[in-house]
Amino acid sequence: MAATTTAVPATGAAALARSVVKHRAFGKLLLLAVVAAVLIPVVNARWASGTWPEALTVDVSDPLTKTSDWIIDNRDSHPLFLYFFGHVSNAVVLSVRAVYVVLLAAGWAGVTAAAALIAWRVAGVRLAIGTGVAFLVSGLLNMWVPAMQTLALMVVAVLASVVLGALLGLAAGLSDRTYRALRPVLDTMQVLPAFSYLLPVVLIFGIGVPAAVIATVVYAAPPMARLTALGLRGADGGVMEAVASMGTTARQRLLTARLPLARKELLLGLNQTIMMALSMAVIASLVGAGGLGDRVYQALASVDVGAALAASIPIVLLAIVLDRVTGAAGERLGDSGSSASSAKSGLVWWGCVAVGAVAVALAGRFTDRLNWPQGWVVNIAEPVNRAVDWMTAHLYSGVPYVGGTADWAGHFTTWVLDPVRDGLQGLPWWSVLLIVATLAWLIGTWRTALTAVLAMAAIGALGVWKPSLDTLSQVLAAVAVTLVVGFAIGAVAARSERLERLLRPVLDVFQTMPQFVYLIPVVALFGVGRAPAVAAAVVYALPAVIRITTQGLRQVSPAAMESSRSLGATNWQQLRQVQLPLARPALLLAVNQGVVLVLAVVIIGGLVGGGALGYDVVFGLAQGDLATGLVAGAAIVCLGLMLDRVTQPTERRTRKGA
Amino acid sequence: MTTTSTASSSSPSSSSSASASSSSSGGVGKAGSPVFAVDGLWKVFGPKAERIPGDSALTDLGPAELRARTGCTAAVRDVGFEVRKGEVFVVMGLSGSGKSTLVRCLTRLIEPTAGTISIDGEDVRAMDKARLRELRRHRASMVFQHFGLLPHRSVLDNIAYGLEIQGVGKAERRKKATEFVAKVGLEGMEQRKPGQLSGGQQQRVGLARALAVDPEVLLFDEPFSALDPLIRRDMQEEVIRLHREEGRTMVFITHDLNEALRLGDRIALMRDGRIVQLGTPEEIVGSPADDYVREFVRDVPREQVMTVRKAMRAASGDEADRGPAVAPDTTVSEAIEAVARTGSPARVVDEGRCLGVVDSQALLGVVAGTGRPADGTGGPADAVPDADGDAVPDADAESRDARSAGEGVA
Amino acid sequence: MRRKMLSAVAGVSSLLVLTGCGAADMTKQASPFAGVAGSKTVTLSVQSWVGAQANVAVAQYLLEHELGYRVDTVQVDEVPAWDALSQGRIDAILEDWGHPDQEARYVKDKKTITPGGDLGVTGHIGWFVPTYFAKQHPDVTNWKNLNKYADQFRTAESGGKGQLLDGSPSYVTNDKALVANLNLDYQVVFAGSEAAQITQIRQFAKEKKPFLTYWYKPQWLFEKVPMTEVKLPAYKEGCDADPEKVACAYPHTPLQKYLNSDFARGGGKAAAFLKNFKWTLEDQNAVSLMIADQKLTPEEAAKKWVGSHESTWKAWLPK
Repeated sequence: MAATTTAVPATGAAALARSVVKHRAFGKLLLLAVVAAVLIPVVNARWASGTWPEALTVDVSDPLTKTSDWIIDNRDSHPLFLYFFGHVSNAVVLSVRAVYVVLLAAGWAGVTAAAALIAWRVAGVRLAIGTGVAFLVSGLLNMWVPAMQTLALMVVAVLASVVLGALLGLAAGLSDRTYRALRPVLDTMQVLPAFSYLLPVVLIFGIGVPAAVIATVVYAAPPMARLTALGLRGADGGVMEAVASMGTTARQRLLTARLPLARKELLLGLNQTIMMALSMAVIASLVGAGGLGDRVYQALASVDVGAALAASIPIVLLAIVLDRVTGAAGERLGDSGSSASSAKSGLVWWGCVAVGAVAVALAGRFTDRLNWPQGWVVNIAEPVNRAVDWMTAHLYSGVPYVGGTADWAGHFTTWVLDPVRDGLQGLPWWSVLLIVATLAWLIGTWRTALTAVLAMAAIGALGVWKPSLDTLSQVLAAVAVTLVVGFAIGAVAARSERLERLLRPVLDVFQTMPQFVYLIPVVALFGVGRAPAVAAAVVYALPAVIRITTQGLRQVSPAAMESSRSLGATNWQQLRQVQLPLARPALLLAVNQGVVLVLAVVIIGGLVGGGALGYDVVFGLAQGDLATGLVAGAAIVCLGLMLDRVTQPTERRTRKGA
Repeated sequence: MTTTSTASSSSPSSSSSASASSSSSGGVGKAGSPVFAVDGLWKVFGPKAERIPGDSALTDLGPAELRARTGCTAAVRDVGFEVRKGEVFVVMGLSGSGKSTLVRCLTRLIEPTAGTISIDGEDVRAMDKARLRELRRHRASMVFQHFGLLPHRSVLDNIAYGLEIQGVGKAERRKKATEFVAKVGLEGMEQRKPGQLSGGQQQRVGLARALAVDPEVLLFDEPFSALDPLIRRDMQEEVIRLHREEGRTMVFITHDLNEALRLGDRIALMRDGRIVQLGTPEEIVGSPADDYVREFVRDVPREQVMTVRKAMRAASGDEADRGPAVAPDTTVSEAIEAVARTGSPARVVDEGRCLGVVDSQALLGVVAGTGRPADGTGGPADAVPDADGDAVPDADAESRDARSAGEGVA
Repeated sequence: MRRKMLSAVAGVSSLLVLTGCGAADMTKQASPFAGVAGSKTVTLSVQSWVGAQANVAVAQYLLEHELGYRVDTVQVDEVPAWDALSQGRIDAILEDWGHPDQEARYVKDKKTITPGGDLGVTGHIGWFVPTYFAKQHPDVTNWKNLNKYADQFRTAESGGKGQLLDGSPSYVTNDKALVANLNLDYQVVFAGSEAAQITQIRQFAKEKKPFLTYWYKPQWLFEKVPMTEVKLPAYKEGCDADPEKVACAYPHTPLQKYLNSDFARGGGKAAAFLKNFKWTLEDQNAVSLMIADQKLTPEEAAKKWVGSHESTWKAWLPK
């Protein structure tokens, strides 16, 4: 196909071009121009059309529909289902049930006490209090039982993800070949939106808890695998050599050195896995997972923001607490531990924790207080709804001077989204490929360019060129807004310690808040259409961008800042001439993260009128239409790959972490 | 020897005895079959490395040419030497000279490309995995530049690690490790983690870990390069002390000439993967094999390395009967002191026999680096080794004998 | 060596799984959150719209309080719900708007689903304009005049055309074909979810703006935003057979209940009760409005309704 032929001669001639033109970027451009000049007339003569030519598409809907039919017909008889998926499914149900029964048996007091004690053990008193409060708030909001259902599901899913991820990571960490095979898969899975896993999983497992757990595991295991592999591969060479020099067997090396050396990465992997799993908790309710997500989803049906928020707060609190606790545990490990914490005293400690938790649970049982007391419930739904109503009523339109949010949305659609979309869709298809190739090559290597172009070509071949460009236009607009706002806030926050402290909890909340919750307010403010889809994406991606920007600017070497100050630079000069250039890698990372995150909410955009690919995925899910849903999902993945490569500076590949 | 600069403040003679004794206790008594014998050793990195050593068209190329022609780098080129029982064998060279690769080849942490290595006559390259593990577990322990300690284990558990690997029970290995904690002077720090120790303390842990398995040979890979100068000095003393007490064979890699001169019984000086000179410190300093070595040793305080043996001339007249007596391995700086004190040439006396005399002129000649006694009568030719240290084992052995005898004198 | 060992372990364990445990039919599986004490459990599907929530809330309340069952509810879209019903993951769908493909597959072909009779409510899909607008412009209620008003229905999203607001992707819709085949100067804008669509309609209504939307009856929103239907070319049997060529209105559909076949046979009193469950549009709307507008929980709403309509539900209880 066109894409391949563009890149292959490019590599061959690269050496030649380099010798002719000194400047690399210029050389690349020139080379591309030459290739383009040769290929475009040919391509244009053969398939002259603005949009992707029919002749180059592959119809996948037939085989997909057939697959789907086959699965439905054979689900209760084929050995693959009876002897494999069936057992998987049963195992999931059994384990979730076991955890759930234990949680219910422990009662609210027992669970809260156990959680707080564990947090105390691994992370200190402050986080123990935070953990206790998080659980009590779940009870206060009358969400105890759904919270326990979600917790049971999460415990099983996280454990399974960690085991699976660790095994994969182990394989990749020890074998170069596995690593090379696995890395692109894991890289790709990282840009995959959670939604795209639901459809195939539901088809195989049917709706319900097993499907939810499996989808969560598939979504949450990659970071564990990635970080395990990174940790194992990144083991200090000196230590490993020393260990080898003492005559260790391979197994001894792994158990006594490589694994313990990677414990920080392993813990970070656990942290990431938990976060990913929790972010899946609500989405999984689409396939009947029950729990808090189901409450959010049901509240959505009756357009009840308050109720949705009440069900979301436990998720948010749980996420923040788990993040902090695992993070703190990681830091403690990093300190190499205080000398006192020998194995024996650790055991005693854990024994105390267990005894304490059991004691509280028993106390709860004997006083017959297993269920959350009905009287201790706070109803936040009503005030929240009133507040949202007030906000939308006063901001929607007719605000003096600045106009209402509906007017902004209208202007944004007309003056930004429409031109970008029409512009992209109006471009000849080959020129889109060319632009992608140019950008990716300028910022990366010919490999990244090739991946990006292939991804884009795959979109065309799948026959979803037009909606993909529509989605792309929304993503670009959302990324632009995110970056402008994010960089601005980040730059201010980097200068003011106080502002950063104030921002931190806000960012935490927005990062962990289930996206379904702000769906209604967003529509109420911006109406139905692409504008609210962009708004939802901005809300979701902004925290990460602000965070990375702030950190990047903060990390600029104090010596450089001091010297510029000593030269009498103004604040603005410092920012522009010292901080921004020095923080460039961080800013590029922010761009990349912004793109990936915005893309992750494209499907949420489909729920508020964003149309295009997001809508197609939702449609596929709602109608059980594998062909539409899967193709659109694949196109989102391709867009993600392409955008990731186009915004991913080459250095980042060597960076650690997910 | 350079040792004197620290120890001289207290007693100049004791310092010389310390360095001399380092070779004596284990050294000569058990001399005989070498611990390590290396011959024609090559290590080439790069594509199809195995073809290089056999191809004489390639082996003669310089490093840059070799890389250009084959894409390969020869880190170790045709190296041969023997490490004798009880000696401290130092391999010295600048970074990139191949010395660290060389020491790793000894226990096949890096697989050699060609050549033979044997330990106590057993072919190391022919060993299977289990036998090689055996070698690493019991016979050769290594101490590393960057310590290579396990950060998640306490000092005690780090020291016990080698025993743990061997399957020694917990109680026993802890007991043994505790002994070695004391031996390297880390009492009271048993439960600390490596991250809580200073660099010097960490290397003591590394040393104790290597010692705990009671190996036949200790391999040191630039163990003190990462340490502060003062700590380095302490650690060197520690190694000298250990060697004096236990007489263990040591192979010591360093880029620090002073360290090499101070510790080494014999020194192999490496450049671009080859050994350019192998000999005693005195030979290296006194008779550099080529300009490279000469440049290398130029700033060495020669009077502290050279012995009177190299500076003496035949006694004339009654010189053999009067003047202060010094042992043949007395350093020139000590002889200067004696000559200055008495004002007459000193006699070099070995087992009551007068070998020759050193006068102030000869001693100044050594200090000035003009090398030979100024009067041109020439020293005993047999006492001056050939330019190539390798080629004169006799002279070498003789010098060792002399030095060990010198201990008795001091 | 390691790889060999790994593959050996994998082989052995998969063999164990295959031979040791026998077949596991996951279609006969209950929710892990189902009654822990071992009480009889019924699982009902709740669709996203409030009318369906009302059915389920009342059925659930009666099953729990009158018949002693434990009821689980699962929220899924319509088509996946059929699938789940056939697998036995759920026992009953109480309100189905007509899915001929699924019916052919599961009811006629695989016989895993059994019809459970009429719900008693007739559903109807159509195009609606707000009544305040229809009063000012009475002729808008005929599709032939829609092009005249296209300008007024314009939004930023629909560009130069009038906007026809469509809803959740799970709903049955022919609107794109209708717009094309009736030569209407309109753009179908998919709200993507019912929540978004309702929010948008209420915002329009608050400002008394004109709008044209796909909507359906019974629906509680009519009580809050009165809307008038736009007459499309009359529905005739089979006029919607080819989805590309549809040019007629949506039919009036008597909403149906469906039960899992096994449940229908062996579900005892619960199955009998659900087959008997039948109420009117007014009843359903009353409960819907309590849930959606007064923000009562479904349980409270059901309790309220049950308290005041004893004669209606007494008849559903199996003798």
